[in-house]
Amino acid sequence: MASMFSLPSEVMLTSLVSLFPCREQQIRSLATLLAIRGAPSRNVVLYGLEATGKSAIAKALLQGLSAEPDNSLVNGDSDVLHDQLRYAVIKSAECITGRHLLEQTVGAVAKAVNWEGNVGRCENVAQLVVELGRMLEGWRTSDDGATNHRIVLVFDGIDHQREAPPTLLPGLARLGEIIPNLTTLYIVTAPRPNFLHLPGVPHVHFPSYTKPELLQILSSTSPTPQLPGGAKETQETWSRFTSAVYDSLSKHSGRDILSFRSISLRLWPRFIKPILDGQLSSTPFSRLLVANRSLFQNETVLIPGIISEPPLAKAGALVQGVNESKGKYQGIANQLPYYSRLLLVASYLASFNPPRLDILHFMKSASSKRRKKGGGTALSRSSNTKRRTISRKLLGPQAFVLERMLAIFHCIKEDADSRGRYGNGNERKRENGSADIQMAIATLASLRLLVKMGAQNAGDAMDGACRYRVAVGWEVVRGVARSVGVEAEDYLAD
Amino acid sequence: MSDAEETNSHTGFDAIDHQPAYIYTPTGTNDDALERPTKRRKVAKGRPPVLQPHESTNSLTFEPLIGDLETLDCVRLRQDCFHKYWSETNARIQSIVNEANEDTLAEVTAFVDSPGDINQEDDGRVPASFIVTGPNIASQDLLFKQLSARLKKEINGPVVTLRSGDASNLKAVLKQLIRDATNQRSEDEELSQELDGRKLLNYDLEILQSYVKNHGSQRVVVAFQDSEAFDTSLVVDLVTLFSSWIDRIPFTLLFGIATSVELFQERLPRAASRCLYGVRFDVEQTSSILERIFQSAVANSKASLRLGSELVASLMERQHDHVQSVQSFVVALKYAYMCHFYGNALSILTDASTSSQSLFKLIKPCHLEAIRMLPSFRRLIDSRVESQELIRARELIQDDTILLQEIEDSLESKDGNILRLLRAFHVFASALSEPPSGIDLYMTIFEGALSGSDHLKRVLDSIKRMTPDDLVVFTKRIKGAIENGSCELDLDGWADEDEELIAELRDVEIKAVGLSGKSADTEKPIRSSAAIHSKGLRTTVIAQRVQLSYEKSTITEAEKEFIGLIDHVSKLLEQYFTLENPKDLFLNELWLCDSADLFLDVFAPRPRAAIENALSAPHEYLTCEIGGSEEGLSSTHPTTAIIYQSYLEAGSLINMADLWTTFQEILSGKEGDEGDEREALMQFYRALADLKLVGMVKQSKKKADHLAKVAWKGL
Repeated sequence: MASMFSLPSEVMLTSLVSLFPCREQQIRSLATLLAIRGAPSRNVVLYGLEATGKSAIAKALLQGLSAEPDNSLVNGDSDVLHDQLRYAVIKSAECITGRHLLEQTVGAVAKAVNWEGNVGRCENVAQLVVELGRMLEGWRTSDDGATNHRIVLVFDGIDHQREAPPTLLPGLARLGEIIPNLTTLYIVTAPRPNFLHLPGVPHVHFPSYTKPELLQILSSTSPTPQLPGGAKETQETWSRFTSAVYDSLSKHSGRDILSFRSISLRLWPRFIKPILDGQLSSTPFSRLLVANRSLFQNETVLIPGIISEPPLAKAGALVQGVNESKGKYQGIANQLPYYSRLLLVASYLASFNPPRLDILHFMKSASSKRRKKGGGTALSRSSNTKRRTISRKLLGPQAFVLERMLAIFHCIKEDADSRGRYGNGNERKRENGSADIQMAIATLASLRLLVKMGAQNAGDAMDGACRYRVAVGWEVVRGVARSVGVEAEDYLAD
Repeated sequence: MSDAEETNSHTGFDAIDHQPAYIYTPTGTNDDALERPTKRRKVAKGRPPVLQPHESTNSLTFEPLIGDLETLDCVRLRQDCFHKYWSETNARIQSIVNEANEDTLAEVTAFVDSPGDINQEDDGRVPASFIVTGPNIASQDLLFKQLSARLKKEINGPVVTLRSGDASNLKAVLKQLIRDATNQRSEDEELSQELDGRKLLNYDLEILQSYVKNHGSQRVVVAFQDSEAFDTSLVVDLVTLFSSWIDRIPFTLLFGIATSVELFQERLPRAASRCLYGVRFDVEQTSSILERIFQSAVANSKASLRLGSELVASLMERQHDHVQSVQSFVVALKYAYMCHFYGNALSILTDASTSSQSLFKLIKPCHLEAIRMLPSFRRLIDSRVESQELIRARELIQDDTILLQEIEDSLESKDGNILRLLRAFHVFASALSEPPSGIDLYMTIFEGALSGSDHLKRVLDSIKRMTPDDLVVFTKRIKGAIENGSCELDLDGWADEDEELIAELRDVEIKAVGLSGKSADTEKPIRSSAAIHSKGLRTTVIAQRVQLSYEKSTITEAEKEFIGLIDHVSKLLEQYFTLENPKDLFLNELWLCDSADLFLDVFAPRPRAAIENALSAPHEYLTCEIGGSEEGLSSTHPTTAIIYQSYLEAGSLINMADLWTTFQEILSGKEGDEGDEREALMQFYRALADLKLVGMVKQSKKKADHLAKVAWKGL
């Protein structure tokens, strides 16, 4: 007679532990909570930050547990009780709505228990209970050999479910009360206290890896290319290299294992390049480190690039990346048509100038007043210093009314034309209220160089009262303004 | 804005809206078939079949001109001419547009075919190609159409293009994605939305997965046509979703990017950019495509209608100032063709293919009268008078047969004249290593201003700076241009027609080769003519004093000969590039289209300015008496204009009561004291409703009983 309480076989657990180093405690507690003859719980919560092995361990452990009965057979237990454990994993990331999640759950369970009948629609948790109950009942009756049944539902990332109804989690938590032999496993990042509205739910915490743990895990991956000195030398250099990478880069940015590993793998070929070239050897590691110190100072590797550089150009890629970032806006300034550029400058001015100063900046008659700005009486000056105002530039772009921007546009247009292309006093009045200008505004808005405020579909884009905000910075605008012959600083309130 | 949107946007407005009552008048009951109301349904609008000649011959869409004096044959001829010439030109343009994106298409297809080359690590990242198209959003449509056609042909798998307009939320996008992807093979019927007896939601990607499995698709290409205009959170959701499915559905993404990849990446949060890896592809710039289209459609020797320099200048200015788009240029070109053949009765003479005899049968006295009205005819007469051929001039004016003779002559010489201009264009463009832009050059030549232009000056200056070796290269280039012609312009080589120039150039070349050979022997380099003439300034420092002295350059025999050679070449070129102004040619109106005002009114409308002008000066549009008041407030104006005038004078918040009082006063001034208040109020409401419809006033939230002023005049 098998005892009521027995832990899953040690063989499987140790193999899992060796597969997932530094996670022995979590694996063992989870195994106890899930195993049929352990201390099965109705709800289990796994929580921890990203890339701490929650999903992978849960999945591997469940796989091991569902294959368990075979092991006990081999052990030669005479009156063996068939233990049947099945599991279904539902990824919330792939579920578009709360209802989609429920449908997926039903589908996954049907697959797990080899249900062959018809599966009904599943619009809410109540229907889910009915469907699940039907299926599990059918499974139990069809599978007579087994006496102990248990099904585990794994909701991966349920806290990030899109369009989840508020009753979803409490509802799921009570599934186990209605359906027997059901364990629900929630994998979440950071659970709010009592988010299942159910006391006494066991939580298993997956803490972030510490530095020694990270290094230990990473030492098991072997980098490419290998050093000429052989595997041992490679391993030694790799471990010291990863430690250096951790201290210089990874420690202060993301400490998760995935980014750490990808950074290390990306830097590795460049790091050992001097060795492969034969300039340095791996033995005094500090010399290698000094020779490659620029690698550890440059933080651009931390930003995941969506453009993958071709493998050949890898060596010079870092230097290139720095240069490119400088010239990234240059292209737009040259490609935009003339009036679009002017409109962009006008939008910037409208965004960063307070409307009450418009008279000062854009009225022609106010030029005399403008000169006065530098002076001011002693009294006014002292009051100025007392009031602490934050510079408008630091406050970010403010919303402006389209009509105001158009007025500014016409004002700086005269300036640009007189200085720029139409220097010979050519009178040009064709732009007033022209459809081309309105088209240019719409184009800028759809390129998201101007951002429409408020609801996307509320009101017409060309409505005079429509509010916009500029979405490019000072550097860009200065370049664009110079390309059309306007000095944007002249109009900008400081 | 496309045609469809245009028509849709007008559906809400109707003239009946403001009519208190309308009378129903049943039209003739016999034509039932025509009366049947068109069904409201979405119909895929194809290209209007204007370019099919067999259909157009049956029905005349062109109107007879010259006060209906024109015969139907002429009208038909004009119409046929238009269809013939425009379809020829259009075919040339389309071939260029198609092949312009050829490189990009091939690269992207190769990438989509095997994106695995770039990504070494298998980490669930979605391959993506970023196609940088430049800020002209209109061109993206064509590119993505071509791309999806190409990919559908070459890639085994569905291709779906998403636009920001129909992507409102995640669910809708997925629905569309699945529907478009699964409908692409017409032979399958309804794809089963069921899996293992379970009905799937219509936004469930499992449908797509089973489709991919059933068809063995290798790629599922999802293209974001205008990726900037998409809601960023939507793109993030989609990208993370795709990356989560990438182990089951082989997604490949295409992003059309108008600004730059860096800006695009900046907007994406890290969670999404971590899921992407890809390559950037640049599309050929609009300006270079435009140049090529210009060469093949306007400057081409086979083009029957040429654009004048003024028109080209205004088109190019619009390209520079407002829109950079190939499509708008093509449209303008088509409009030029349409205007020419529709509105110019003399355009029957443009047709080069029909023999002049059959043409002259068509010509009626009214045509000759029209020709006598042309400015070029006037210029012809002027020149005759100046050269004292008074009798000839009188005959031209009075005698139709003499005029016909003259027309025939000028039609015959027309082709030669144009050819001469185009040859000069080609020689000039190919002689320089850095030629000026073809459009600029064309404009100068067709103004007849090449001989005094900066372009020519620059060429002559550059000749002066040449060494003998450079000169050899230069003459060889010119000779090559003459002998080989140009395939872009459809010019055949014309070496046998310009024998003199060729011979001279050959002569120069031999001499220059001889000189450079000699100088190589004597190891004394021959300086360029500019270097010889410029005086060298020599600085000598003697006892801490600087002395400046001019260096007298000594000229060797060989250099003297070389200077002679250079002078000879520049004289030859000056002579060759002295061209007639095409506008001085008789009957240039037949093949030169040059009126810029026409174009700006059509292609750059000013709706807002027009409305404002109509409201502030209604007497320009309507026949109403202009009252004595000069400021525009007059009771004789339409009521909307009266309100608009007080609206202009008000501040940003308008008190309704004040507005009403003013309005009533003005109206009562017209009708004496007996103004009916109810009547006036009705007019007031109606005028305000008009202003609101135009979008000039809005209910103000700041103050009760006030209107907010939305539009200022003149912006």
